[in-house]
Amino acid sequence: MTEPAIKVEGLRFSYGDLEAVKGISFDVQPGEILGFLGPNGAGKSTTIKMLTGQITPKSGSAQVLGIDVSSDDPNLQAQIGVCFEEKNLYLNMSAKENLDFYASLFGIKEPETMEILRRVGLAERAKDRVSSFSKGMRQRMMISRSFINKPKVLFLDEPTDGLDPVTSAQIRKTIKEEAERGAAVLLTTHDMFEADELSDRVAFINDGEIVALDTVENLKIKYGTRSVKVRLRNSEGVHEEHIELDADGFSARLAELAASPDLLTIHTEEATLENIFIELTGRGLE
Amino acid sequence: MSRPVSRASIIGALLKKELKAYSRDKVYLILTLVVLLLFPVMFNFLPDSVDENLTLAVSPSISSMIDGAKDTFREMGATEAQLAELDNADFTEGEEGLALVEFDDAEEMQRVIDGKLEAWRTEDGDIVLRDKEADEDKPEDAEKVNLDIGIAFPESFIADVAAEKKGVTVTVYSDANVPEEIQGAMESFVREAAYQLAGKELPVTMADEDSLVLGEDRAGDQISLKDKFRPMVIFMVLLMETFSMASLVSTEVLQRTVTSVLVTPARVSDFLISKTIFGTFMSLGQGLIVLLLVGGLTADNWSLILTTLLLGSVMFTGIALFVGASGKDFMGQLFYSMLFTIPLLIPSFSVLFPGTAAVWVKVLPTYPIIDTLVGAMSYGATWSDSIGSLAYATAWLVVLFFAGLFQLKRKVQTL
Repeated sequence: MTEPAIKVEGLRFSYGDLEAVKGISFDVQPGEILGFLGPNGAGKSTTIKMLTGQITPKSGSAQVLGIDVSSDDPNLQAQIGVCFEEKNLYLNMSAKENLDFYASLFGIKEPETMEILRRVGLAERAKDRVSSFSKGMRQRMMISRSFINKPKVLFLDEPTDGLDPVTSAQIRKTIKEEAERGAAVLLTTHDMFEADELSDRVAFINDGEIVALDTVENLKIKYGTRSVKVRLRNSEGVHEEHIELDADGFSARLAELAASPDLLTIHTEEATLENIFIELTGRGLE
Repeated sequence: MSRPVSRASIIGALLKKELKAYSRDKVYLILTLVVLLLFPVMFNFLPDSVDENLTLAVSPSISSMIDGAKDTFREMGATEAQLAELDNADFTEGEEGLALVEFDDAEEMQRVIDGKLEAWRTEDGDIVLRDKEADEDKPEDAEKVNLDIGIAFPESFIADVAAEKKGVTVTVYSDANVPEEIQGAMESFVREAAYQLAGKELPVTMADEDSLVLGEDRAGDQISLKDKFRPMVIFMVLLMETFSMASLVSTEVLQRTVTSVLVTPARVSDFLISKTIFGTFMSLGQGLIVLLLVGGLTADNWSLILTTLLLGSVMFTGIALFVGASGKDFMGQLFYSMLFTIPLLIPSFSVLFPGTAAVWVKVLPTYPIIDTLVGAMSYGATWSDSIGSLAYATAWLVVLFFAGLFQLKRKVQTL
C-alpha cells in the first residue's frame, strides 16, 4: 500500500468549552475519495480547517503529504486545493482574474486558467466579473479555484450544497476526474446521494466523532436488509410483498411473482446511507 | 515538490489584487475623486487674504470737531504749532486695525449702518454714497465699505468734554448682526475717549490682557482662511483614506476572501504587510498629490511636512486595519468607523481656532499630526520646533498600528 496522502490520528479541537472534534482517526490514499458524511455542526468543517492549516489541533496528529499540519509549513498549502462552503471569491474581479490571482500566490507563472474554466463550463464567461455570476456559476468557480495548482490533496467542503441537479452533476464529474488524476479527495457533505455516488469510502461523523468508516458497499451490506419489495395489483388495489434474499424458496417465489400478470414493480431494499446514519446515531443528516 | 514561492512575489500579487479591488469599487473611486479633485477645488475658493480691520463710522468728521474745539484748546494752553499739527493729522487712518469713515451728517451715517445707503470708497479714497432703493448705478472703480457700527458725536463733543461739561450725549449705531461684545466695546471706547480728554481717572475697568489670549498667542501671526485650511485639507485626505482602507479590510474579512488566501502559501504576515503597504501608499500618495495641488510643498520645511504626512499615513492605516477588522457585519464596521474617526477628527478643528485646544484634545492621537502640519505649513515651524509633537505622534503611531495589526490578525485567525 502506498503512503496515505492524509493521515489523521486522535485529532481533537475545541472552541472554548465546546469540543468540536473528539479524537478522530482516518487516512485517505492518493486517488481516493473519502466522503465525510454528517449533519451540520458535526465537526466536518473544523476537521478541514485543521487539515488545511487554518486552525491548530489541540491534540492528536495529522499529516498531509507527510507534512505535519501544525508546522506552519507553506509547502503544505502549496500542494493542496480547498473549496470552501462559503463562496469567498473576489466579486469585483473577473473569473480569469480570480484564478490568475490565486495562481500567482502559488508562484505559477503560466496558469492553465482557461483550461480549468473550460472544465467547469465557464470559459465563455472568463472575462465577466464574478459579481454577475449566479450561485451555481460561483460554486463552479470555487471548484475551479481549488484546481488551479493541480493539488495532490483536495479538500471540498459541501461542494454542491444548494445547487440544481445539472450543476451538481457537472461538479461531481470534475471531482471524479481529479481523483482519477491521482488526487486524494476529502469531501464533506450532508448529501447522502452525493456521498454514495462519489465516495470510495464514507466516514460517518456525528458530534465530533467518527461512528463508522468503510466502503459504501460494505456499510450497506453491514447495516442494510437483504430483501426485495414486490408490488402487485389485486382486487383491493396494490399489494406489497417483502421477500428475504436469504430465505428458503426465495428464487422460486420471486420467479412466481415475476411471471404474474399482476406484477407492477420489483425493488431491492438495500439500506441508504441516510438509513444507516440514522441507525448509528439516532438522528438525520440535515 | 515544486519550488517554494518567495514572500516578495506573494506580497506583490496581493498588492496587485488590492489595487484591482480598490480601482473597481465605486465607493472608493468616489472617495478618491472627492479627495483629489473636490478638496483642492474647494480649497481654491477660500479667501487668501486677511481682513482684520474694523471700519468705524463717525459723525461729524474728527477735523470739524477739532476745529470747533480750538478755542477751548487755546484756553487750555495749546500753542498754535500744536494746533497746526492737529490740522495736518489724518484721523481716517486710525490705529492699526481700525479705519475710520467720516460722515458730516449723522442721519446719513445712520442710514448707512441701517443698510439703506451703501458706502463706496473710490481709488482716491473718497467715500461715495449710493441709495439702493433709488436704484442708482454703482460707482466705477470703487470698493464697497462694510460699515456695521458708527458713533454720532455732538458737533462740540471735544470742546464740551475738554471743558468738563455735563450731559454730553453720544449715540452708538450698530447693525443687528454686530455682537453685543463689540457694541459694548464701542461704548467703552467713547467713555474712555471722553475721560481721556477730561483728564480724569478712567472709570472703565480693563480686562486682564493675559486672560484674553488662550493658549499660544498668535497675535500678529494672522493667516488667511486658505492658509488655515491647508493642513486641514491634508488631514481630511488621511481621514477619507482611512474610510476606504477600513472598508477594503472589512470587505475582505466579511466576505472571508482572506481565508481563501491563507490556504495558499501566503501567510497571515504577508496579508498584513500587503495591507499596510497599500494603505500607507494610498494615503501618502493622495496626501502628496493634494499637498502639491494646494501649494503645501512650497515651504522651506517640506521635509518636515512629508515626514509628518508619512507618520499620519501609517497611523491612519493602523486605525483602518483596526476598524476594518472590528465589525462583525457592515453595521458593526460603520459603528466602529464612527466611534474612532469622530474623536480623531476633533483636533483638526483646533486649526480654525488656534490656541483653543483643550488638554483632552491634545491627548488625542491625531493632535500631534495636525499640530505639526499647522506649525510647518502656516507658521514656518522647523524640525526643532516640532520634535516633541513628532515623538508624541510616533508613540501613538506604534500603539495604534500594532493594535490594528493585532486586531486584524486575531480576526483572520478566528474566521
